[in-house]
Amino acid sequence: MANEALKQEIQSALSNKTLGRTLGTFCETYPEKRLKSYEGVDFEETRENIRRVKGYAADHIDEMIDEFTKNCTARGGNVFHAKSADEAMAYVRDLVKEKGVQTIVKSKSMASEEIHMNKVLGDDGVLVQETDLGEFIIALEGNTPVHMVMPALHLNKEQVADLFTDYTNEKNEPIISEEVKTARKVMREKFTHADMGVSGANVAVAETGTVFTMTNEGNGRMVGTLPKIHLYIFGIEKFVKSLSDARYIFKALPRNGTGQRLTSYLSLYTGATDVCLDKETDEKGPKEFYCVILDDPGRRQMLEDETFREIFDCIRCGACLDVCPAFALLGGHVYGSNVYTGGIGTLLSHFLVSEERAEQIQNICLQCGRCKEVCGGGLHIPEMIMKLRERSAELHPNPTYKFALDAVSDRKLFHSMLRIASVAQPAFMDGKPMMRHLPMFLSGLSEGRSLPKIAQVPFRDIFPMIPQDVKEPKGKIAIFTGCLLDFVYVDTAKAVIKDLNSIGYIVDMPMGQSCCGAPATYMGDRENAKKTAELNIGALEAEKYDYIVSACPTCTHQLKDYEQFFEDDPEMLAKAKELSEKCYDFCKLFHMLGGLSDEGDGREINITYHDSCHLKRSMGVYKEQRELLTHTKGITLTEMKESDNCCGFGGTYSIKFPEVAAPILERKIDHIQETGADMVAVDCPGCMMQISGGLDARDIPMDVKHTALIIAEKRGLM
Amino acid sequence: MGAVDELYTRFDKNLQAVNGNSWLAGKADAAGIIANAYKEAGVESACVYESELLKEIGVVKALREAGIEVFTDHIRLHAETAKGGISEAQCSIADLGSIVQLQDDIDGRLVAVMPEYYIGVVKISEMVDDYDAMFDKLCSLDPLPAFVGFITGPSRTADIECVSTVGVHGPLKLSVVVIADERRQRNG
Repeated sequence: MANEALKQEIQSALSNKTLGRTLGTFCETYPEKRLKSYEGVDFEETRENIRRVKGYAADHIDEMIDEFTKNCTARGGNVFHAKSADEAMAYVRDLVKEKGVQTIVKSKSMASEEIHMNKVLGDDGVLVQETDLGEFIIALEGNTPVHMVMPALHLNKEQVADLFTDYTNEKNEPIISEEVKTARKVMREKFTHADMGVSGANVAVAETGTVFTMTNEGNGRMVGTLPKIHLYIFGIEKFVKSLSDARYIFKALPRNGTGQRLTSYLSLYTGATDVCLDKETDEKGPKEFYCVILDDPGRRQMLEDETFREIFDCIRCGACLDVCPAFALLGGHVYGSNVYTGGIGTLLSHFLVSEERAEQIQNICLQCGRCKEVCGGGLHIPEMIMKLRERSAELHPNPTYKFALDAVSDRKLFHSMLRIASVAQPAFMDGKPMMRHLPMFLSGLSEGRSLPKIAQVPFRDIFPMIPQDVKEPKGKIAIFTGCLLDFVYVDTAKAVIKDLNSIGYIVDMPMGQSCCGAPATYMGDRENAKKTAELNIGALEAEKYDYIVSACPTCTHQLKDYEQFFEDDPEMLAKAKELSEKCYDFCKLFHMLGGLSDEGDGREINITYHDSCHLKRSMGVYKEQRELLTHTKGITLTEMKESDNCCGFGGTYSIKFPEVAAPILERKIDHIQETGADMVAVDCPGCMMQISGGLDARDIPMDVKHTALIIAEKRGLM
Repeated sequence: MGAVDELYTRFDKNLQAVNGNSWLAGKADAAGIIANAYKEAGVESACVYESELLKEIGVVKALREAGIEVFTDHIRLHAETAKGGISEAQCSIADLGSIVQLQDDIDGRLVAVMPEYYIGVVKISEMVDDYDAMFDKLCSLDPLPAFVGFITGPSRTADIECVSTVGVHGPLKLSVVVIADERRQRNG
């Protein structure tokens, strides 16, 4: 089970109405705003370039540091190369002491938060003022940022007014424009009196010794224009080689961050610029300019790790948070780091903040893959989180999960458990076809949804009796049913056979097959995942068939991914490769083999379609099933809002975090209802179980069917 | 539409999209436009960082004639109270409505960021098409100025309830006077 404290934090986030409303609205409007900002700019090409230039810098990191140091110094700057957070902090602390600095104005610097600068200097009696409006608000609240780009999203204007009233000792009205004016007034005084400015860099250019800072509010410019001492703190991941390389990052950063084509201010500082030294005499001269490069062991560890090295390509745009269904509900506080949040925050926290915390929060990821689509650095965030999960499961195995997964990986044991369940289940079914309540510790499973009943006779027992009348067969296909098709959605499995028969293919079911291994993979149990992979490779005998078909994208994805387990075993690797190449999800294969047709019973039905995360994002299949449906006589397809947003099932997610999965499902149900459709089409039995369970629990009489079954029924094949 | 008009129209449209505004003016009219904008906005005093261009178009004289107090020195001191700030920006970008300061001088940087209403003056001959052209130009500068600042509209925030609000620590209002100084040779 997830840690109790984390569960409590999740509850607290879910009950924060302001957070829910503001974050919900933001995350809903974000994708379109972002897309619009990319008009005329090729995002894929941009992020390819970002990976290239940041990858180059990572490969030549020591050169980057030396070159930057040389060039910044030549332009009058002072550069300190800190080998640890403590070393960086000690340097800053000494500098502040030596220069007699009393007050500091700061514009968002995540690195300074990593080294706990505000706390350490605060204890020394130095006033460190956050100048970014959101940061200022949460500093008054005594809280940490809820979002990397918008830190105070969890507070409403009334709460902000109260905080401002306390701070200024004057009544502040809950009017946003007035609150912004108060911030300007309060902060202006700080800017003009500060002894030192502290900035964070979005990018540092080795060849020129330039640091870049983007802001909207203008606080970044005030920090860099007014104080006589200016200090930059940034991590080694900020380097690029040339000024020209830097351009790609600022093409993606504002668009991904806030849907802006460019922020109000983008400033480049190369060495020591001039400042006004004395406003009365109007004396001017170069400022004292310092750069602290944070090169701590966590960053080096990240660089040396093949799996996680690409975290260096992150541009800190926050897009991964803005599209994450779990983040949209929870915000950043549950991620527990005062610096980084969301999916990328989980990864960064592991290396830069706290491994223990990262171990807990990696569970919040649904593995839906939306973040990967928008990531400015093209990071494989879900895969990396999965690796963290694996490492964590190796270190601290969970006995309950382990027992369950051991059982699932033992085909005979697992299948007999399912057969027993099919007999025992009527006790929980209230005479209905769905189970609405489960006993005790399993009750989380049925929160906000009902569960389907387990078939009285599994598909594997029916299969031999299905007549396959195919004249002059074009080929032979093996079906991999996975647990849900075999033991729950038997009709769907039958439909797959009938559909493929109708286009001239014979289907065989190798009986030795078992669970695909996805549950073990998602729980981080690599050992059991590998065991099932071995079992299925042996059972499926891909060499004997033209294709392998699966009607569950999670299974398909898992089967196609077996190669990862056998990198050191050439014989198994070759078999895994053959399986991977021949394996397709139903709609893709059916479409590819000529299944598209205008047949259909012509009876009018309005259908809406829900995209499975795996089918759309891992396998890129979203057009084929729509074509198959819309060509069928009688079917009208009405698209729902956010059709490719996760339904909340997420493999085992709805078991671990039912309280998060439930509102995600709620939203999906709302979008389905808005279409006025008669039926929901899906391609994933997991989604089918989740969505039909959600509809049933709300007494909404709407069918959820697999595309394969809809086609078979409309074409009169069943 | 001529090249100058097309370029300016694009610039103006993009600047308006980020809550700024602009005028295309000849050298003879520019100072009058600035003085008038300040009169209308109720700006009674302004800091001016005088470049050759601003001297040539007579900004200081026009403001004073309009009854506006003008400071051309002790900018750091006066920018604390003056509501207006004027300087020449060395470049601009049509596709973004941005102006770009290549500005080592502290006064030039102060007038663009401290006052409530900043007016930037740019030559259309120094306007580039897009972001990439601007970066190409920066890459060709040797040495790179110690400060380069892209300014795209007035300062803004969405930090309270995600409501976009214009005017935070930098200017609340931003205008640009584009000087139609010469017929620009378009490169491709």
